[in-house]
Amino acid sequence: MTKILFSDKLDKCVERWKSAGLTVIGPVQRTNISTYAAVDHAAELEFGLVLPDRSIKDLFFPQSEPMLRYTIKKESINTEECLPPAGPRIIFGARPCDASGMAIDDPLFGWDYKDEYWFQRRNESVIVTIACTKADDFCMCTSLEMSPDSTKGSDILLRPLAGNKGWQVDELTDRGREAFRTIADFLHESSEPLAPSAVVENKFDLDACVTWLKNPENFESRFWKEISMRCIGCASCTYLCPTCHCFDIQDEGDTYTGIRRKNWDSCSFALFTMHTSGHNPRSTQSARWRQRIMHKFNYFPGKFSVNSCSGCGRCSRQCPVDMGITETLQEISKLSL
Amino acid sequence: MSIEEQYRTRAKELLSGGAVKMVIGYGKGTTPSRRRPLFITSPDDVERLMLDDACITNLSGYLVSEGLLSDEKRVAVFLRPEGIRAVNILAAESQLDAEQIVIFGFDVSGNEVQALKGIHVEEFSDVIRSIKEGAPEADEEELFEKIEKMSPQERFSFWQEEFAKCIKCYACRQACPMCYCRRCIVDSNQPQWINTSSHSLGNFEWNIVRAFHLSGRCVECGNCDRACPVNIPLRLINHRMAEEVLGAFDHFAGMSKTQEPVLASFKKDDSETFIL
Repeated sequence: MTKILFSDKLDKCVERWKSAGLTVIGPVQRTNISTYAAVDHAAELEFGLVLPDRSIKDLFFPQSEPMLRYTIKKESINTEECLPPAGPRIIFGARPCDASGMAIDDPLFGWDYKDEYWFQRRNESVIVTIACTKADDFCMCTSLEMSPDSTKGSDILLRPLAGNKGWQVDELTDRGREAFRTIADFLHESSEPLAPSAVVENKFDLDACVTWLKNPENFESRFWKEISMRCIGCASCTYLCPTCHCFDIQDEGDTYTGIRRKNWDSCSFALFTMHTSGHNPRSTQSARWRQRIMHKFNYFPGKFSVNSCSGCGRCSRQCPVDMGITETLQEISKLSL
Repeated sequence: MSIEEQYRTRAKELLSGGAVKMVIGYGKGTTPSRRRPLFITSPDDVERLMLDDACITNLSGYLVSEGLLSDEKRVAVFLRPEGIRAVNILAAESQLDAEQIVIFGFDVSGNEVQALKGIHVEEFSDVIRSIKEGAPEADEEELFEKIEKMSPQERFSFWQEEFAKCIKCYACRQACPMCYCRRCIVDSNQPQWINTSSHSLGNFEWNIVRAFHLSGRCVECGNCDRACPVNIPLRLINHRMAEEVLGAFDHFAGMSKTQEPVLASFKKDDSETFIL
């Protein structure tokens, strides 16, 4: 016997969570794009997607965020800190790759300086993940030691029942248990057949890739130039990536008053590493693509013992020139044979 | 022999004889429906070239990659008519020497690929003229007409909603053969002319700046529209501006390699007393 949430009870749950003061967020299809957004009713949620176009990252690390407002007068400087909008929320229907992406980034946002913007949102969010029953050509979680039902980063894992009837509820954290206690009277105790899990084929040998990347001789390999020749240097792979976390801090306004903002930035851009002198240590696109791969599979795990990739495949799925992490690691796997 | 085979043979001849140093074409992509840009430098690799109705991306932007043409050697490239127009503009704007470009022209109607006759850009002027005179594609026009019929307020709301999705990844710019500036105005940060923030003002600034910079230059290849990861219908903006320029100046971008850039040229007998 396990806890079951039937689909037809979901709207009641949404209502209950809302009246308990939670903002309910989930996958939606809006203005020709799928994303995670706040909803009022269960009917707005779109569960048929392999995964939304936009990643869950946007909810924790928005593309542009005010940090402080400043006013400079003759004898004084006034600053007013802007903290993220407070409020508990439940994200219903995240995908395992998106949820794990947030857990991957936790150590990054907390190692030397605790990023309050990130952690306030993390602490106020309950992530209810739905295991995948379908995958597409770009999914690659299984190549990254994860799976269509990974629990990493989730507070609750829902396993879809056969026939879209609802979900089996696996409570993983106290935060998840608490959120589901609110809707306890809508849950059933029974055993229902589960829908078959998505099949995601293994696409590359991660260990072999990591070994190759760690070999200093390969840093200047011709491979980097060849693989990235068609890269046009846009940032869509980094901006859609659930784990890419780079940002820039910009002051907007004039000398006397303005706002300081934290904006997404990307290693795909030449400007990202441009020095004031005009020198650019990553002056070519191949050096920038190498950095992205090295960061995800060499430097980041070197520091935090986890790869900075959750296998969602958005980088390849959306690339205007059909590049991405999958192809690069597949080619590296071949080189390491 | 299929056009794909004909072009492979031609590519092999050109590379073997040293007539071109590289062929930029299309190869197999991640999925059966995808093609990816391919750079062939050895005659042994021409079999990797593909040509079918899935070859959509306009490859002309690669021609202005830093250093590619600086050795004065020739480069061959697979181009649809829009790509050929783009080469004309790049030549007219002194970004490349058209003599260095060998064109593998093709067009697609339905699922059929047709070869376009010619090698050098000036040989395709009839094709370009026929596009200027031809009717626009019906499905594109439907949404366009819908927006045209909107009141200014409705139209503003439409674009506000669309631009709200913008994440300033600049994929539109990077995918565009006309956005060849080594340093785009949004990347100029001493001073920072344009906000980097992707808030509503920043997104409007970016998209409007780009629309103006492309006026009279856009060939409507659709690269920006397809590259946009948040599906903003950018083609509609450029199409509107192209119509505007055509109506006001009878200027159809990319007619020839000597066509004067409409917003960057001046005539003494111009009826306006100033230039922008």
